[in-house]
Amino acid sequence: MNAFLPSLPTIVALVKIGLLVGGLMTAAAYLVLVERWMAAWVQDRKGPNRVGIPLTKIRLFGLGQPLADGLKIILKEDFTPRHVDKVLYTAAPVVILAASLAIFAAIPFGSSLPAIPALGLTSEEPLLVAPGLDVGVLWVFALSSIAVYGVLLGGWASNNKYGFLGGLRSSAQLLAYEIPLGLGLLGVVLAAGSLKLDTIMDAQASTGVWFAFAQPLGFIVFLVASFAEAARLPFDLPEAEQELVGGYHTEYSGIKLLLFLVAEFLHMVTAAFLIVIMFLGGWHLWGVTGSGPVETWLVAFIRFAVLSAKIFAVILFFMLVRWSWPRFRFDQLMNLAWKVMLPLGIANLVTVATVEEFRPQLVTAVGEGWAKTVAIAIPWAVFFVGWIAAGMLTPSGTDNTPIRTPGPLDAEHVLDDPQRELVEV
Amino acid sequence: MIASVLPVISPGTLLAAAVTSTAASLWLLLPRGQTGAAERRSRWLGGLLGLAALGCFIATGHRLGGLGEETVFLIVSLVAVISGAATVVTRSPVYSAIWFAMALAGVAGVLLVLGAQFLGVATIVVYAGAILVMFLFVLMLAAPAGLAPYDRVSNEPLLSAVAGAVLLGILSLSIGRLTAEPPLCCRVPSKAVAITGDAAPAAGLPAVAAMSVDLLAENHVARLGGELFGRHLIAVEVAGVLLLVALVGSIAIVSRGASADGTVAPARRAVP
Repeated sequence: MNAFLPSLPTIVALVKIGLLVGGLMTAAAYLVLVERWMAAWVQDRKGPNRVGIPLTKIRLFGLGQPLADGLKIILKEDFTPRHVDKVLYTAAPVVILAASLAIFAAIPFGSSLPAIPALGLTSEEPLLVAPGLDVGVLWVFALSSIAVYGVLLGGWASNNKYGFLGGLRSSAQLLAYEIPLGLGLLGVVLAAGSLKLDTIMDAQASTGVWFAFAQPLGFIVFLVASFAEAARLPFDLPEAEQELVGGYHTEYSGIKLLLFLVAEFLHMVTAAFLIVIMFLGGWHLWGVTGSGPVETWLVAFIRFAVLSAKIFAVILFFMLVRWSWPRFRFDQLMNLAWKVMLPLGIANLVTVATVEEFRPQLVTAVGEGWAKTVAIAIPWAVFFVGWIAAGMLTPSGTDNTPIRTPGPLDAEHVLDDPQRELVEV
Repeated sequence: MIASVLPVISPGTLLAAAVTSTAASLWLLLPRGQTGAAERRSRWLGGLLGLAALGCFIATGHRLGGLGEETVFLIVSLVAVISGAATVVTRSPVYSAIWFAMALAGVAGVLLVLGAQFLGVATIVVYAGAILVMFLFVLMLAAPAGLAPYDRVSNEPLLSAVAGAVLLGILSLSIGRLTAEPPLCCRVPSKAVAITGDAAPAAGLPAVAAMSVDLLAENHVARLGGELFGRHLIAVEVAGVLLLVALVGSIAIVSRGASADGTVAPARRAVP
């Protein structure tokens, strides 16, 4: 064979990359439309329903809207303000989009395809760009931490106080929530015994117990942390419009702004993928998909459809939350991360480790079925205890009375406050 | 590789040339307080010399195997080396940090190409994802433009350039040993498996080779974990204790403002 012709695995990988990138970009465009529909539904308006096929009068419920939006934003002037750091200003959106696309190298988008002997594929073909990557979860984690650079650099290079504050806020938030995110992941990795996302799905399919049921506390911690990592409301402080104009992309316009917005949507899609794959069983659905190897195209398609439907449902949930929750204040955000999510994440990890350690003894003591029940009951007990403890201690409850330094007219407060006197002395 | 094409130049001469030109180019590129045309001229010269040095180093290296692997390896290692040099010679601290991130990405790429997946990804998670973001954070808050004079002139440019280049030369000499055989560390795993599979007992390759191949095989992370928590358990525990002590220490330093009964004296209080 000619050395310069790509080999079969290379071609397969390229086809997968093409399908994935094309699918993700289209999905991101149409998810914007879905989000606007959702906003309209929540706010009791009609939403975008006019644009259909160009040059005709056919409306198609507004399905042409993403195309029109995309064309419009691409054709807008790509304006670079004079006061920015040109190199980093250009690099920031590229970095963030490249990182959020590269994440998908390790994320499976289905189960696998049956063997196609006609094309030379003799074994099952996993629907995953890099099936040999043994560190899938870590890869996702690493690249989502690279995305912080895009935000930080975009904010700094803009040389604008809103952009800069947005960048700083965002990086503080992303760094803080990476810890509960990692703790949520660790519980699943421990239970599944692998860092590969497809193995994690197989583990849930073979036992039939999704990790959301086996580790409810880990699921909640991971869900909240992934909302924060995706910077979606109620965690969208990096671009709080009322305070920061647009946050780190205040100075961006045209195609560069588009790259930032697409990357943000991809973060949400990644979060949905991870939630479904790690906690909601991936492609598995009881009685529908089976759990063994893929033998027919029908099974492959059903599994793909189940996974896509679950991901779409999670994305709809993300959007519904966006239009129903107010934004956190920054101290509330940090309190939630460090005083609620971190202890709960550690409690979940310890519980999972204990259950997994004593599972063999449990099976020999009470039998297979009861062991399964106990292994689910203990995490749920911990979940309720943790919930009640977090509620009673209210570590994230903050004093909402306005903070102000006493002025000269507030002398009476200073006098009848012993601690204030101590400070003054 | 080039030694076979150009028998006139011995590998030793090539390495000496590489080290010399590296030192010269680093010295020329480092900020030495010049301005205007002089600075521009020394940058150009230094850049050209640096490229020459890179060429010499590549020529002293060994072939890895397939064309694709070699190209990818060359690209990621060039990214790592060039960004490493740029980290040192850039004037702006923020750009230095960015170049350092690029160098880390290049190193992670090299590790991934060589099959050390865990190490590669951990490099990004730990260094690029956590430590360097903290650096950037502080740099951006402290010196937004990097205009302080101590940032613009490097300390002892000549000594540091020579020391760095000599270190590079000694390392490549001791790792490569200027032999025709590719060094063990640089073999692509699949090739290494083939080599140890049939040639190891006869040639008597050291046990290190077999072990590294074992670690780089499938289920790489599980094997690495077994190795870490089996043979190196005490080292892992000691490192964990060290990190815990550092954590407790940082908390103790931060909470120094607290009074004896544990309450923090409020600077500003909520006035009802």
